[in-house]
Amino acid sequence: MDAPSLFSDKELAFLAALVEGEVSFLVVGLAAAALQGAPAVTQDVDLWFRDLADPRLAGALQRIGASYIPPTHSTPPLLAGAGTDLFDIVMHMHGLETFDQEVRRATLVQVGGINVPVLPLERIIASKRATGRPKDLSILPALEDALRARAADKRD
Amino acid sequence: MLKAASTFETTAAEALERALDRRRRALAICAAEPEAAFENVWHTLLLLELPPLERLNRSLQRGRAVSLQR
Repeated sequence: MDAPSLFSDKELAFLAALVEGEVSFLVVGLAAAALQGAPAVTQDVDLWFRDLADPRLAGALQRIGASYIPPTHSTPPLLAGAGTDLFDIVMHMHGLETFDQEVRRATLVQVGGINVPVLPLERIIASKRATGRPKDLSILPALEDALRARAADKRD
Repeated sequence: MLKAASTFETTAAEALERALDRRRRALAICAAEPEAAFENVWHTLLLLELPPLERLNRSLQRGRAVSLQR
């Protein structure tokens, strides 16, 4: 029997609200890698926004009955409410260029019928390498092999 | 009953055929890219056969399982 989906209709509704509300964002991190076929394991879906103060983000959250909790000196920005539990907000991506430069390179991945902007695997690798943290470096071989497999698969 | 058995055999045969084809492609990639690990390439090719939403759900389910084991 299949395990129940963790990423279900509520999470899809949140992504749909962001896309339909024209919020500028990217899915980044290992969830982005997994969406592109990398054998990566993660517990959350990291989102990088151009502007957390964008009223369109507040509008998208309001549409699904969720809220934005601004950062404090000791806590990162957070999301609260239906469909947002799996999502984390990323403030800075190591080793990458500005959001505006990276979003131009975004790849659109269809997730449950929604075209979601995702940081390309090459850029995820660049970011993981730049952090230098052991947990990020340890996943690099799997991500690099996934990139090789994707490239070869496209050539077939 | 017979129909079900026949369907199962067809499904199993197709799955085996797909797996053998995937193995062939994974071996070809590893031959061309000696640094690549077969397991990573094999799993990527398998995941690429699935819709992105299912790839993400598998990643999250395994992440949850790893977290519960700690």
